[in-house]
Amino acid sequence: MSRCVKDVLWSNYKYTRVDTSCYAGVWGLMPRCGYGSNMTNGYRKPQSFGSGCLWKSNSFSSFQRHYASHASTEQKSRKMLLYLTALVFAMVGSTYAAVPLYRRFCQATGYGGTVQRKETVEEKIARHSKDGTVTTREVVVQFNADVADGMPWKFIPTQREVRVKPGESALAFYTAENRSSTPITGVSTYNVTPMKAAVYFNKIQCFCFEEQRLLPGEQIDMPVFFYIDPEFETDPRMDGINNLILSYTFFKVNED
Amino acid sequence: MSAGGAFGGNRGARPVPPEKGVFPLDHMHQCDLEKKDYIGCLKSSGHQSENCRIFSKKYLECRMAK
Repeated sequence: MSRCVKDVLWSNYKYTRVDTSCYAGVWGLMPRCGYGSNMTNGYRKPQSFGSGCLWKSNSFSSFQRHYASHASTEQKSRKMLLYLTALVFAMVGSTYAAVPLYRRFCQATGYGGTVQRKETVEEKIARHSKDGTVTTREVVVQFNADVADGMPWKFIPTQREVRVKPGESALAFYTAENRSSTPITGVSTYNVTPMKAAVYFNKIQCFCFEEQRLLPGEQIDMPVFFYIDPEFETDPRMDGINNLILSYTFFKVNED
Repeated sequence: MSAGGAFGGNRGARPVPPEKGVFPLDHMHQCDLEKKDYIGCLKSSGHQSENCRIFSKKYLECRMAK
């Protein structure tokens, strides 16, 4: 029986580094000799030895065994951390880069109503008269006028619509009246719908983007001189489009 | 193409100024007569800009002179 104890303890000693306190605990107990048979397999779950000591030593061995793979998982998780951090920075960076990229994309394709500017009007007219392009399709340009909230102006188009052929310049008027008792400065912006046709809408002269000051009670006519590019007719995307709406909105400028 | 507006299509576009710049407004109402002629012509001829080209030319000449 004592031999059993020695064998067991010896096998323990071979596989693990068991601290002496554990020995002391074990020494006093009567072991079960059935344990002696499979000693080569250190992982074999021990029969209960009456103390948690062997169990602790066995878990220590498994801890040691796990330590080797634990290091690699730590490496893996470190790699993952680096990868995720890099991903965050990439996302933030692409958000910043998206602004000029998107602007360039809009300019190139005219997406969303961006009005393109490639040739001046005179160059275009000269080119078309040289080519001898004849335009036959009539396009109706309707006008819309809006005023921002809190702006006491009456702003309407003087004519409801103008029928024009692409390549011909046309004049249109808007009328604005300051209904308040103080001079008000406003600035306007415009938009053309349908958006894909905005590429072909060229303004030669207008009253937009510049501050306009109206005295109280003053009424004024605001002209817009524009023309539609003759290439409008040949573009297949514009096939169903015979109506354009030019829309102006006036905003109030705070006078200091 | 309302989807273009949903994606901020107009938000990304910088406003393009008119080619010849801003029309100086007629605060003195000096070319009112020409303007009235032009509007009248448009209304009577079914809003055809072709027919009223001569009046628009007169208006522009008036504005350039005054």
